[in-house]
Amino acid sequence: MTAHPRFIARIAAGVSAIALAAGVAAIPTSAARADETCQSPYMARITGQEEFVYVWTLGVEGLGDGSDKLVTVDARPDSPTYGQVVDSDPVGGRHEAHHGGFTDDRRFLWLAGLDTSRIFVFDVHSDPGNPRLVRTIDDFVERSGGVVGPHGAYALPGRMLISGLSNDRDKGGRTGLVEYTNEGEYIATHWMPTSETAGDLPGGEFADGYGYDARVLPRKNVMLTSSFTGMANYMTDFGEMLQDERAMQRFGQSMVLWDFHARAPKQVFHVPGAPLEIRWANRDGHNYAFTSTALTSKLWLVYEDDQGAWQAEEVADIGDPSQVPLPVALTLSSDDNTLFVDTFMDGKVRVYDVSDPHRPRQIHEQQIGRQVNMVSQSWDGERVYFTSSLTANWDKKGDDNEQFLKAYDWDGERLTHRFTVDFTAEELGRPHLMRFGAASLYSA
Amino acid sequence: MKTTIIAGAAAVAVAAVLAIGAPPSHDAAPATAAPPHPYAYEPPAPGTYRLPPIRAAADGRVLDHNGRPQRLRDLLDGRITVLAFVYTRCADVCPLAMTLLHELHAAASADPALRQALQLATLSFDPAHDTPEVMAEHAAMVAGAAAVDWRFLTTGGPTDLQPILDGYGQPLAARPSGEGADGDRFAHQLRVFLVDAQGMVRNIYSVGFLDHRLVLADARTLLAAPAGAAAMR
Repeated sequence: MTAHPRFIARIAAGVSAIALAAGVAAIPTSAARADETCQSPYMARITGQEEFVYVWTLGVEGLGDGSDKLVTVDARPDSPTYGQVVDSDPVGGRHEAHHGGFTDDRRFLWLAGLDTSRIFVFDVHSDPGNPRLVRTIDDFVERSGGVVGPHGAYALPGRMLISGLSNDRDKGGRTGLVEYTNEGEYIATHWMPTSETAGDLPGGEFADGYGYDARVLPRKNVMLTSSFTGMANYMTDFGEMLQDERAMQRFGQSMVLWDFHARAPKQVFHVPGAPLEIRWANRDGHNYAFTSTALTSKLWLVYEDDQGAWQAEEVADIGDPSQVPLPVALTLSSDDNTLFVDTFMDGKVRVYDVSDPHRPRQIHEQQIGRQVNMVSQSWDGERVYFTSSLTANWDKKGDDNEQFLKAYDWDGERLTHRFTVDFTAEELGRPHLMRFGAASLYSA
Repeated sequence: MKTTIIAGAAAVAVAAVLAIGAPPSHDAAPATAAPPHPYAYEPPAPGTYRLPPIRAAADGRVLDHNGRPQRLRDLLDGRITVLAFVYTRCADVCPLAMTLLHELHAAASADPALRQALQLATLSFDPAHDTPEVMAEHAAMVAGAAAVDWRFLTTGGPTDLQPILDGYGQPLAARPSGEGADGDRFAHQLRVFLVDAQGMVRNIYSVGFLDHRLVLADARTLLAAPAGAAAMR
């Protein structure tokens, strides 16, 4: 038995390719480095038809079992159960189910609760149509040194990055980023910078210590974080909070650019109005990210300018800001040309042509429901999914409190409805985060 | 219905690699090529950041390229190790991983301090094919007095291999019979591990984004840390 010739050949070919890339810079390494849009670039990616949509769902007292649960919906168009719930896995109790994400190998789905700070880890690889709860992390606050409200779960190589929303001292917005191994072992906490700790950091006077999203652009070795509000606000009734002037002052107004490898803040941007979801562009040379501000209803661009400096620029209104439409989620197409933005209060999605990221142009607007929150798009751009719930305390009341997963086809001009799962009629709860699954990820 | 899975940038880079189509050659000298420079940044200066311990590096029974049974932890002890899992029949990301490891090997070998303190180790997860004799051929390609040591390891079989894979959280799936051309038997998402001289994993890299400059900065950071400070947070 000898060394495999093709293996050595491909090493050699790799070296040739690298040499060419260094000299000519013509190797097509650009393809998109993200998941079915806007996921960690370190993750395996589905570029074709997703088979399942996993929906992290808040329990509602008196509705079904009342528990938070992971709901699995069949997204295979040729399946007899297409558009139907094929699995529901309660985690026991209500934890303010919110966000989460896959590990880098996409074998496990981490789902977090903002209220109890518990993290639920599901095995999605053994049987993708039937996820199984395999681990619960219930000492997140203690292990992290006081971070409360685990929010995003972002895949890094062999580990997870959990962005917090609050802290255990005052339940305010000061928080941090927490790293765990994929196996659920705590590694480290990185507190968000404040004006007191920022030192001579550029823009350090705007550092408020708040957190929300955290996303990495590997080719620039930068991570961008955004800022929302603390537990004292997000667990308060929305109407009551709006009447509380002091509470309304306790929202994030910063974004932080980090040296990702060193986990060190590099620069702070003043982005008032609670910048939430971050969406890095995908293509090489597209060194920019979009975010939307919930309270001021603006679209912001964080970008590297021609001199290599990073800037934050307000680039568009989202709807009529005076009506506080509350933009809550956005997704950028894999070609970086189309941005979908959901606004909770009016239940609409607005679609922008962002081929010139500095000059977004709205090209479509469509009513999705009486309220709408998350939006997820397939990598090929052909399918778009929406869910309705924001938080248990902030969702609308009465008839306006529609709870759904809705699936649409996108043809570049309009959304065509494919199916709806009524989460109230099916006694499931309030659907929030969506993630895509496919059995072929694990069948080699 | 078609579902395509791409593991980060790795598959893209591999596609680029394969598209070049360099002729097979056993005499290739892959360690001296220029870096690809897909990364437009300056790595952080060594010693200016921390590498928190992630977990203890898993142990297990391995075979070196001479066929001698060894404990993996014994081989890791006392030196900083860059450890990767590959197999030589791989037509997926292993060739890219090996290309990147050759870059790292060349760059590290140019640093006298790292020549003593650092080693590379590749462990095959295809022991049926990757025998010690096969590993010896690869080891011979990179051996040299002025080079960082590079251990080409394999195992006696799945019974010894699986606990090691589990210990490092390195998943792989055997392709169904008939899939995977010419012995390309496994689908996997490769991770590379930085293990300190005390046997603690200090960083994990995705092959798709393995910038050898960052690995070198990390190794030098570990070298700069005084004894005992490594575990500080």
